[in-house]
Amino acid sequence: MSEGNFEMKHAEQAPEAVVQTKHSFSIIWVVPIIALLIGGWLAFKAMSEKGPVITITFESADGLEANKTKVKFKDVEVGKVTQIDLREDLAGVVLTIEMNPDAETYLTEKTQFWVVRARVAAGEVTGLGTLFSGAYIGCNPSMEGKKQRHFTGLEKPPVLTEDQPGQHYILTAHSLGSLDLGAPVYYRGIKVGQVVGYDFDEDAESVLIKVFINEPYNEKVRKNTRFWNASGIDMTMDATGIKLDTQSIVSIMLGGVAFDMRQHDLPGEPAEKNHKFLLYPSQESSKEDTYEIKRYYVMYFDQSVRGLSPGAPVEIKGLQVGEVVSVELQYDQEKLDFRIPVVIVLEPERLNLIVTDTGKVVEGEKKEEFLEEEKKTSDLDARARKLIEKGFRAQLKTGNLLTGQLYIDLDFYPEAPPATLEKIDGNTVFPTISTPLEQIVQRVDNILKKVEQVPFGKIGKDLQGAVAELTTTLEEIKGISGKVNEETIPKFNASLDQLQETLNGIESTLGPDSALSYNARQVTSELALAIRSMRSLLEYLDRDPQALILGKEGDKK
Amino acid sequence: MQLGLVSCHACHLLNRKPKTSAYEAAYCSRCGEELHQRKPNSLMRTWALVIAAMVFYIPANVLPMTITSALGTVQADTIMSGVIYFMQHGSWEIALVIFTASVFVPFLKFVILIYLLLSIHFKSIKRPKDRTRLYRFTEAIGRWSMLDIYVVTILVALVKLGFLADIEAGPAALYFALVVVTTMIAAESFDPRLIWDVVEEKHE
Repeated sequence: MSEGNFEMKHAEQAPEAVVQTKHSFSIIWVVPIIALLIGGWLAFKAMSEKGPVITITFESADGLEANKTKVKFKDVEVGKVTQIDLREDLAGVVLTIEMNPDAETYLTEKTQFWVVRARVAAGEVTGLGTLFSGAYIGCNPSMEGKKQRHFTGLEKPPVLTEDQPGQHYILTAHSLGSLDLGAPVYYRGIKVGQVVGYDFDEDAESVLIKVFINEPYNEKVRKNTRFWNASGIDMTMDATGIKLDTQSIVSIMLGGVAFDMRQHDLPGEPAEKNHKFLLYPSQESSKEDTYEIKRYYVMYFDQSVRGLSPGAPVEIKGLQVGEVVSVELQYDQEKLDFRIPVVIVLEPERLNLIVTDTGKVVEGEKKEEFLEEEKKTSDLDARARKLIEKGFRAQLKTGNLLTGQLYIDLDFYPEAPPATLEKIDGNTVFPTISTPLEQIVQRVDNILKKVEQVPFGKIGKDLQGAVAELTTTLEEIKGISGKVNEETIPKFNASLDQLQETLNGIESTLGPDSALSYNARQVTSELALAIRSMRSLLEYLDRDPQALILGKEGDKK
Repeated sequence: MQLGLVSCHACHLLNRKPKTSAYEAAYCSRCGEELHQRKPNSLMRTWALVIAAMVFYIPANVLPMTITSALGTVQADTIMSGVIYFMQHGSWEIALVIFTASVFVPFLKFVILIYLLLSIHFKSIKRPKDRTRLYRFTEAIGRWSMLDIYVVTILVALVKLGFLADIEAGPAALYFALVVVTTMIAAESFDPRLIWDVVEEKHE
């Protein structure tokens, strides 16, 4: 055994080493770890920044673009449109919007969204910036109400008044007219508020217009304040000429509302929030009295009501106490007859009632009290009954001969057949008497007959005789006047000549150069002198009465 | 390998490399650079870098590349939204260039590198020439992905019109640059000779 073999033997006996691939952690793995950390952090950030996703429906997506259109509140971006889809029924569009995470608190049912575009309205231009930047979605967050994720966008931007001090009021009008959102509200020509909304009444009978009056002008709104539609131009023509009345150019174009107190009204209590007012169609009409108590009556007229239209006055002795509400034709199938119920309204407040026991005219506060009571009771019908007993009846009368307009006149006809206030089908029927047209026709006929009986032929003959006599008389007169010409006038001339001569003689005797006149002047002047010396003597005697006895002082010496 | 000749990484001089113990290393006789038969740790490095690049690829595509503000409208565009924008406006050529350089090429690089790595891992001997060609292709196109970064930097520098128009680079630009750089390093750290090592091993 050699040494080497021995060594080999030993080596072979040694255990075989385990051969494995080298597993060493290389520094290079730091790179993907860092990459993963960054990626993870980015993902976490993106997830945590993701806000609630909401949907809003609009009529159209005009000017809106997915991933570009922003949602802004006070010009701060609070969300972004991520998707625009058509609604399933194709009646609009649905915007999917990713809001900022902090939007969660104000995504409530009261939050409003609308599209902000360049808009020229209510005398102001808004959203000019959107001409360049494109439309965006405005929002008016509200924390109140139920949380929700689906909204219906407003087609018109709301007029925001939440952060302004002032008061809301509600005006009821027959129609909206030319008023629009943002239309100005004027108080004596100063813009003090605006129209912030409108809606139908519950029964869609009238329009409710919501106005906002800024502080401090809301104090001017009292319970008896009158609001009127100041849109357009008011032109009135009367005896004083043509009068034009407008508010401002803006209100002519866009409509507006004005309010004020009537001239002689005392300011009432301040109106509370959302107090309802009536919106009068014009300033003129706002000044009219309004009557709260209304009594409706039905009248049946047998004659034609041609010329009687709703709005026609009901008068007592020429003063209006009510008006015609409706005129319609009814056909009675059983009786085969037509009848015309005319509905009128009487406004007893137009009368100054005289209380019988005191004989005083009820006015002012007492009137108010009286009317309050009147409202409660149906005393008025009882009063009407008494009047009817006395012969109070309604009658159609012609108001205008040219147009044939009729009105209803209430007056006493003591000879009228007795009638009373009847209730038919729930309507109070007021008795009428027909305008005695037929009687008039009869009378005219009689007159014509009498006229016929007049003996026009005989009258003609008599007239002829009379005329002949008149002719002879005139001829006689002519003869007399001829005599006057021939004889009387020359004599008259001669007498006039003699008179002239006589007057001349008098002239020469009494004229300024005559002797008589001269003498008379002489006498007059001497008389004047005598009177003067007499006066001086009297004055002297007045001073020194003793001179009468003692003579003049100068003579003593 | 059989001949024991090793090319220097730095000066490419062929050295005869003697067997070295664990405590020794061979150095180039001319420039003194350490000699390796193969790039050390090549597979692991490439894997690490490819994975890192793939992670960066996600934010690079999801986050905005450019933030354009024109007349007050701020708009953030990702790579894909930019491509779509150009396509919708008829410039499909530009869209194609951006898409190829920024989306398709990085993605292709991942696919190729992962394929090469897997083929070596599973000791595949199929079509080694084609695989080498693929590698060369990857190396060659790698730098072209920087095109997008250059476009963004030029735009940011040029379009400074204040309110009228302004472009800023978005966060994706950084991640995209990282994707390009890491894939380039990954391609660099891959040693194509490993393809042939496997082939030779199998032949023996």
